[in-house]
Amino acid sequence: MHFAPLPYLDPGSGSFLIQLLIAALLGIGVAVRASWSKIKGWFGIKSEPKADDEDDESESR
Amino acid sequence: MTKMTNQNPGSGQLSASFRDPSGFLFWRNGTLYRQINRQYEGEYARLMESGLYDRLVKAGLLLTHVEVDEPAEQPDLAFRLIQPERVPFISYPYEWSFGQLKDAALATLSIQRRALKAGMSLKDASAYNIQFVRGKATLIDTLSFEVYKEGQPWVAYRQFCQHFLAPLALMALRDVRLNQLLRIYIDGVPLDLASQLLPARTRWNFGLLTHIHLHAGAQKRYAGAEVKSRRATMSRQAMTGLIDSLESTIRKLEWKPGGTEWGNYYDITNYSDAAFEHKKELVREWSARLQPSLVWDLGANRGVFSRVAGASGAYVVSSDIDPTAVEQNYRQVKDEKTPNLLPLLLDLTNPSPSIGWGNEERDSFLGRGPADMVLALALIHHLAISNNVPLPQLAEFFAKVGKWLVIEFVPKADSQVQKLLVSREDIFPGYTREGFEEAFGRCFRIREAVPVRESERILYLLERL
Repeated sequence: MHFAPLPYLDPGSGSFLIQLLIAALLGIGVAVRASWSKIKGWFGIKSEPKADDEDDESESR
Repeated sequence: MTKMTNQNPGSGQLSASFRDPSGFLFWRNGTLYRQINRQYEGEYARLMESGLYDRLVKAGLLLTHVEVDEPAEQPDLAFRLIQPERVPFISYPYEWSFGQLKDAALATLSIQRRALKAGMSLKDASAYNIQFVRGKATLIDTLSFEVYKEGQPWVAYRQFCQHFLAPLALMALRDVRLNQLLRIYIDGVPLDLASQLLPARTRWNFGLLTHIHLHAGAQKRYAGAEVKSRRATMSRQAMTGLIDSLESTIRKLEWKPGGTEWGNYYDITNYSDAAFEHKKELVREWSARLQPSLVWDLGANRGVFSRVAGASGAYVVSSDIDPTAVEQNYRQVKDEKTPNLLPLLLDLTNPSPSIGWGNEERDSFLGRGPADMVLALALIHHLAISNNVPLPQLAEFFAKVGKWLVIEFVPKADSQVQKLLVSREDIFPGYTREGFEEAFGRCFRIREAVPVRESERILYLLERL
């Protein structure tokens, strides 16, 4: 694997491979969710905003 | 914030700060600095200029720092020196309750999510990089960020699973005491071990199935295998999916503090409200008078007296052996947004040792002292009688950990002590008020000795000789 620069921690080959597999699967879910809310948007249905991210209330509870 | 007591002030590179070539921490004249090496220049610039630093600091997720104009510690490598905000007390994941570890995990994921938006990614996800600052889980390692390149997997995924997900799952679904595995495995719980220890039904939980069980299997199967770079890519969407999945898996893990030995201690004590209030009054008066910076409340239970001492402005480390009490204490800290109280899981008869490389990567509990003031309330009979520690040795121990000592002597006639003696021979003829004063008088000056109202107990204020 060659992402410059190489990580200073060994991510572990098995961990890398399983991550790619799981993430590919979960990525599909993210894409489906995103397009679903777009489709709903066409019909004027607003999806609920996600309770995370750039709002400054931290989500550590 | 109150003036901080020094922890290991002095000079030289910190013994825990050697792994990452991006920079290191060092002490100089009692001040802690971080040298940023030239190889980290680009990442540091991105962190500061993208607004990520400001956003994380505003959300209380990253420790603040200031850039300083001081000569570098290793000038041939140096790009810049920064002075991080002082963390009043460093604690470790094996000293945290379930809720503390869970919040540290969620803070790490939240940071990763925000970093991705700014074109950066966490290059490590060590639980040791999180500390509780103003009551909140906060990343203290400014050098944990790297520039994110689309397609790049999360290099810290394995570490995140070992440091956070595995111990949290074991605590929630097997036994809360399994957080002590972190004391043995400094780089987190090995996933094959976690996979074996978790109940079989956890294979029906998608998050635990994939991130722990299948992950452990893949580690075994592909150990040492070479990963072809062209195929090892992961879209941004996939990265988001991975972080979402880790977060929802962790959010679903719950542990309810139940009926352990000490969880409802205050409800079953033998002393009256008047005695309880009198003790509070004395602790309030003495801590207001002495104005300590750092207080250690040992055997703090849910931290009632820690809060009384904390009202003087001190930073209070509120330790107890019972996971339930520590969890309840932490929940109260969160509910009340207490900035100056740190609940800590600690067995005083076997306090955290120094561990890691050269036995000095993570400091022992005593190595993180001494405190200005120590509270030892309703504690001495457990150490002297249940744990058979002779009074002179107890006195020496307390003299080591603090300058001032507020200690409650619980005489043998007290029903709590009688309980401890009910099923064993009384081999403690010296456990008397006179014996106590004689033993502690060798290490301390007795400044006050006040009989607690409506009880047979005595509260002492002692000053180390």
